[in-house]
Formats: sequence, C-alpha cells, structure tokens
Amino acid sequence: MSMQQSSSTSTRPTALEKVIAFVDERVGLKTLQAKMLNEPVPGGSRWAYIFGSILLFIFIMQAVTGILLMFYYVPTADHAYASTQYIIHDVDYGWFLLSYHFWGSTAMVVCVFAHMSQVFLWGAYKKPRELIWLVGLALFGLVMAFGFTGYLLPWDQRAYWATTVGVEIMDKTPIVGDFMARFLKGGPTPGQMTLSRFFVIHVMILPAALMGLAGLHLFLFRKAGPAGPFRGSVEELKAKSDYFFPRQVWKDIVGMVTVFLAICALAFWEPVVLLEEATPDPGDYHPEPEWYFLFLFQMLRLKIFAGEFGQFLGAVALPGAFMAFLAALPFIDRDPERNIFKRPIALIGWIVVMTTILIFTVSAIINREFLD
Amino acid sequence: MTDQEVPSPVKLALKLLWFTFWTGFPLKLAFALLFLAMGMINFEARIALGFVMVLASPVTILALPILMMGLDSHIGEGVGIGLLFLLCIPIDIWAYGVVARTYFIERLRLEPPEGIGLSLWIKTAVVGALYLPILWLVVGFTTDTAISVAHSLFEMEFLKGVPVAERIGAELVLWGTVATVVLLVMLLIGLWLAGRVIQSSTKQAQPVSGTYLGRVMRWDLMRVPADQGLMLTAFAGTGIVLSLLFWTALPATTPRPHDCCKKPEVKAQPPYKPIDALNKDEKVIAQLTTQLDALEKKKAEEEAQGKSKRKGKAGKEPAKAPSANAPVQSESKKP
Repeated sequence: MSMQQSSSTSTRPTALEKVIAFVDERVGLKTLQAKMLNEPVPGGSRWAYIFGSILLFIFIMQAVTGILLMFYYVPTADHAYASTQYIIHDVDYGWFLLSYHFWGSTAMVVCVFAHMSQVFLWGAYKKPRELIWLVGLALFGLVMAFGFTGYLLPWDQRAYWATTVGVEIMDKTPIVGDFMARFLKGGPTPGQMTLSRFFVIHVMILPAALMGLAGLHLFLFRKAGPAGPFRGSVEELKAKSDYFFPRQVWKDIVGMVTVFLAICALAFWEPVVLLEEATPDPGDYHPEPEWYFLFLFQMLRLKIFAGEFGQFLGAVALPGAFMAFLAALPFIDRDPERNIFKRPIALIGWIVVMTTILIFTVSAIINREFLD
Repeated sequence: MTDQEVPSPVKLALKLLWFTFWTGFPLKLAFALLFLAMGMINFEARIALGFVMVLASPVTILALPILMMGLDSHIGEGVGIGLLFLLCIPIDIWAYGVVARTYFIERLRLEPPEGIGLSLWIKTAVVGALYLPILWLVVGFTTDTAISVAHSLFEMEFLKGVPVAERIGAELVLWGTVATVVLLVMLLIGLWLAGRVIQSSTKQAQPVSGTYLGRVMRWDLMRVPADQGLMLTAFAGTGIVLSLLFWTALPATTPRPHDCCKKPEVKAQPPYKPIDALNKDEKVIAQLTTQLDALEKKKAEEEAQGKSKRKGKAGKEPAKAPSANAPVQSESKKP
C-alpha cells in the first residue's frame, strides 16, 4: 500500500509541470524550445559568433532604458533641455540610465561593425546567405539612423549643430535630398518641428522597423543555418559540431554580460554631460557629429570635397557607392572559397577600409584640438 | 600543422595570451566596475581605465608599476587600483590554467603539467616586467621623434600652403606608419620571448594518447564541473551579491553636475520632535513667568516704598492719579 502511494506520488506532476503542460498543449512550447536551442552549429560553438546575440541584447537594453527615460523626457524645444537636465540632476539614477543609453548606442555601432566584419571575413555572405547579408545592411542603416536621430533629443549645442550639419549633408542627395532635409527640419532652421519629427522617428518608426527586420534576419539565418568555420579538417569539424545549447548559449551569455559591464563602466567613467542649451548661434562651439560619423566629417574637410559638387561627391556619392557595392557583394563575389587567407582582395580591401576610417577619425580628433 | 608539431613561439604566445586575456577579462571588469561605483578608484587620465584593463593582463601586471615608477607618473588614485591588480593575479592564474589545459590537450597533444596556470603566469609576468618598459620607451621615443619630424617637414616653405585637414591627415599617416611598424616589430619580439618561455613548459609535458575526437571530448568534459547545480547557484549568488553591492554603492545623483544645475549646499535641519519642543517651551514659559513675578514683586516693593515716602509728604502735597504706564497685574496672579 505504502509502495503504491509512493509510486503514485512520484509520478504525479507538480503544479509547475502542470502549468508548463497546459501552455505547451496550446502554444507548442517544447517544439519551439527544441527548434530554438537544438540548432546544429557546424564546427561547434565559437566566440566569433556572439555578436548577433550581443546586438539583440543591446537593442533590448536600449529599448528598456529608452522607455524609462521617456517617463521624464519632454520632446518640446522649450523643455527638452530642461527635462534632460532634470533626468541627470534630479531623477534618482537618471544620470546612469541616460549615460547607459548613450554608451549603449556606441556599443551598438561597435558591435554592428564587428558583426559585419566577422560575416565579411568568414565569407558568410555568400550563397545561400545573400538575403541575410542584405537585411543585415538595412539593419546597419537603421542603427546609424538611431544614432543620428537620438543625438538631437537632449537639445544642447552639440545636438543642435550635429543635426544641422547632418541635415545639410543629407540635402546634397540628388532628387530626394531637398525633400528629406525640409521634411526633417520642418522649417528653415532646426526647431520644434525638427525635434518632434526626430523624436517620433527615434522612438516609434525606427524601433518598429528594427524589430521587423531583426525578426526577418533571424528567420533567414535559421532557414539557411550557420555558415560554420571557413577552415578546418573534416575530422575537426565532425568532432566539434554541436548544438546551439548549451555551449553557444553560454558563450553568448558571457559576451552579453561583458558588454553590459563595459557599458556600465563607461557610463560611470564618462557620464553624459550636456553643453549649453541649443541656440542658432554656435558661439565658440565647433560643430561636429558623433564619433562614428567623424571620419566622413573629416573627409569632407579635404580640399577635394570643397564646393557643391565636392560635398555631394564626399557626402553622398562615395558613401552611397560603397553601400551599393556592399549590397551587390554576394552577387559579384560568386567564388565559393570562404577562407579569408585565400581571398587576398577581400582581406586587403577590409584592411584598407578600416585603416581609412581609423585615419580620418583620428585626424578629426587632432583637428578638433587644432580648432580649440 | 599536424597534431604533433609545436607551433612557432609567436603563434603559441599569441594564442595563449589572447584567450587568457579574454577569459579573465569579464571577471576583472566586474570588480573594476564595483570599485568605480564604490569610489575606490579615481583615474586622472581618461584613457586610464582602458590602460588598467589591458595592462592588468598576465604579461603587464608587473610591468605597469615599473613603468609608473620609472616615468614618475600615475594613472590615478584610490585603494581600488591596487586591489584590482591584486585580484587580477588569481584570476589570471585560473584563466591561464583553463586555456593552457585545453590548448595542450587539443592542439599540442600533450599532457598539461601540474600547476601549469601558476607556472605560465610567473614566467610571462617576469617577461612582461622586463620587456614592456623597454617597449614603452622605444615606441614612445620613436613616436615622439616621428611626430616632430613629420611636423617639421610640413613647416618647410614649399609645403606651408597645404590646407589644414590635408596636413593633419598626411602628418598622421607619416608618423602613424612609423609608430605602428615599430610597435608591431616590438610586439612580435615580445611575443617571441613569451612564446620561448611558454615552450619550455611543453618540453616537460608527456604526450597524450587517443584520437582527436577523444581529446576534444576530454578537454570539453574537463570544463564541466562535477556539481553543475552548485556551480550555477554559486554563479547566480555571486552575481546577485555583486549587483546589490553595485546598486547600493551607485550614487543616486550625477557625479558630474552641470554648472546650470549645481544644487546649493543646504545644511540639514535637526529632526523636529514635538514633545521635546513642547517641554522646552514650557520650561521657557515657566522661567519667564518666574522672572516676571520677580520683576512685579520688585516693582510692588518699590511702589510700596514710594507710597510710604509720599505718606510722609502727604501733609504738604495732594494725592496723584496712577500712571498709565504702571504694570497691570498679570493674569497668572489672578485667582
């Protein structure tokens, strides 16, 4: 009798198991879990694969901190600066939330660069992953747009003049440039309309677009499967091939924690400090954009890019051509070879682009000191 | 590379140091953040945090104090800097052990010797302590010289017309190329030295048997703890404790207030205690009442004396009406 009782007790599901079974019956939780976690990773888990997950994590954190900031931020030209100062100086931990949001955007740009570089160097954009690459490029554009629109919101001199310069650059685009610039500014100079439009784009349009495209990116990735390492013997790949869970999940978590700690340390180390409130008179302030646009800004200072045509060439034609080239890359480069050491043009091209960006960015910093 | 081959010293050092650095980095970062929040670290240079993070690697942990002493400079103040460096030592020894055991079994096909983490840490820390100050001096001198040469080149008459942006870029390319080449060469020499030292550990190691799959399985299982539940609980517990400490130590208001929003220093008022205030007031009232009584008594005595004097003169002068300023008998005196 007692044995029967104990066996019946051991097989009886707990309350939690009952809830899980209830949800599973209606949602297909276990099938979903198996699909998400049991994805085979050719060649096993790697640290090089963590950037996609980290980007997703940063985006979620940006959304959370952004929503918390919106509880206090007032998107009007009269109150934007004061409300941002209020967040920094009066709201408990407001300074930390704002600084985290600021450094989070920087981390997002760095991780997008790292992720794109990894995909490029691994040759993971090649057939059958062309669409993943194209959607990734669109996501890159969205991240840049997030940075550009968010920069104006504190409404200080830095924000005002960076936006002014950015919109002027946009104005150089043929056909749509004038319309885009007028639409974004909403008047002859940046003002209430500009702030409202940037705010709506930053908190509504871009997050919705990013969520949609990130979902599509993930769907396409799961459809095509991971590309795996670009070199290694058959024996090595076979020995190390694994599922997404637990090793890759663990690596992703460690990566996310590291990035989180780094952003927190930066937020603490260099918290956001606003300049004076925005005015149409720059005074002693030398306008310049956020650091990830500095290379372009410095490039436009060169004599070769002077004048209307030069500005168009440097600000629109060259970056546009570069992005078009990146979009066309999977269709131009049809060689199935993925090993970067056997693709010298790709390797040299990547080094040249990165070195150019680095040189112009450092030049812009030296130029800033020169102007000061 | 076949399994039996030992890679070149540069490759060996690069692989081990790179993975060891990243293995220990998240843990060090967590402690650094905690010390920052607790105000135990105050850096003077903006880039100092990055310096500390990078320099507290196994090869640089002893080199940084030497550099600071030699160059008579310091990156900041606070007990947290020294504490962070002390914490880096066990973290790096552990990280070295994890990485070296994996690398020895999988790549070198060698049995990792006992205490490999500690022995590699000591060897590379000594190499770093001796070599990095030299690297610092050489690269620093080269960079300074290259900057001044590049600058003087553009001071020449026929190059004075070069626009500012072009000039900055060209100067940067000139001195940057020289500095980068020298830095890379010095780093390669340093890696070669560290690799030679690490190679000495491989000579003592015994070869390991088994297939590649078997070896991969072995190092993979080596990293799985015997009690996974305990490990997860310990990790979660440590994370929660560190998070609580961080939020407790984190200042609620910004450590860098803007000029427009500096709050005036207000001295804290002592807390209001109604019973104490009432008692105090009653004491004061009682004291004042006593004083008033004494004054009235004195006045009355003076008046009595005055009356007796006036009575003596009564036969000569008629009685006067009472003065308007004369004190009225207090309510407390009334029955």
